[in-house]
Amino acid sequence: MSENKTTETSRKPDNSPARFKVGDRVRVTDLPNMFYSRTQLYARGVTGTIAACTYQDLIPEHEAFNWDGRIEQFYIVRFRQKDLWEEYPYENDTLQTEFPDRWLDPA
Amino acid sequence: MQKAHEHGGGGHDHKAAPTVEEITDFEILEIAVRELAIEHGLFTAEDHRRFTEWAESVGPAAGSRLVAKAWTDPAFKARLLEDGTNACKEVGVDWAEPTGFGTPSDYMNFRVLEDTPTLHHVIVCTLCSCYPRPLLGMSPEWYRSTNYRRRLVRWPREVLAEFGLILPPEVEIRVEDSNQKCRFMVLPARPSGTENWTVEELAAIVTRDCMIGVALPRPGRTADIHPVHKARRPVQSSSQHERAAG
Repeated sequence: MSENKTTETSRKPDNSPARFKVGDRVRVTDLPNMFYSRTQLYARGVTGTIAACTYQDLIPEHEAFNWDGRIEQFYIVRFRQKDLWEEYPYENDTLQTEFPDRWLDPA
Repeated sequence: MQKAHEHGGGGHDHKAAPTVEEITDFEILEIAVRELAIEHGLFTAEDHRRFTEWAESVGPAAGSRLVAKAWTDPAFKARLLEDGTNACKEVGVDWAEPTGFGTPSDYMNFRVLEDTPTLHHVIVCTLCSCYPRPLLGMSPEWYRSTNYRRRLVRWPREVLAEFGLILPPEVEIRVEDSNQKCRFMVLPARPSGTENWTVEELAAIVTRDCMIGVALPRPGRTADIHPVHKARRPVQSSSQHERAAG
């Protein structure tokens, strides 16, 4: 499987720099993924705020297939529930979940 | 269940009914992988049995102690919020054990979610059923159900109401979807009426459901009993009458 390389992956994992810090506004990208992803469909395209920087690791889409890849920063992103769901009736409610760096764009 | 053979005339063969009528693909997969691993000498059946028994024996006591300690020791609480994984060692839980790199699907990135009077956390894993097992033991069945996992992110207040927890709209309900390697636990707000309690008394009211976020700790509540909604007009039939009377 390590023969399946795109231009983005490298044989030796190396840290790619963390692009975001706590408080930044970010939007979850809708990258194409085959078979497996841990980026929920309900979050794609939604804008939130970085709540925490957690750890650095391979993205799950690579790790699941035993591919080498970049080691990336992971973040917890906080969303307003009103931004995630149509007709969510409560103003104050939020939801947090975690994404690797490449799944986020600056908003 | 096996029926006794009838001897003498007129008896026909009774085949034993299967104990399990259905088995899922994943149960078959687990058996196959386990048998292969044992054949290849990766571990013994005895190793597997011991590990299973240990994993199934871990309960939420360490989590309750962790919360009680945070309530009574502000310096510990600060350490806990700063580095949850390491702070667990102070209640006897090392997330690295027993492998040295953590247990499967538990990893080593533990974070505590601190409730306040205006912020209530509740935890789910929509993708599977990730849970802080080194601290709380095995997750309850309802936590793993698609029913809980699909609905909590979308209708948290309705789902919490089914657990008997209703919070005013001014309180922010924050759902934590643990979809990566972080594992979470709720640090509930300490309830009133517990002033001067000992750490043991406090730990006794911090039940598993309080640390998932579907219940609030309060004096006198030392067990997770979910409200039973009785039918207003239960079906009545003669056989049901007989069974109910038995």
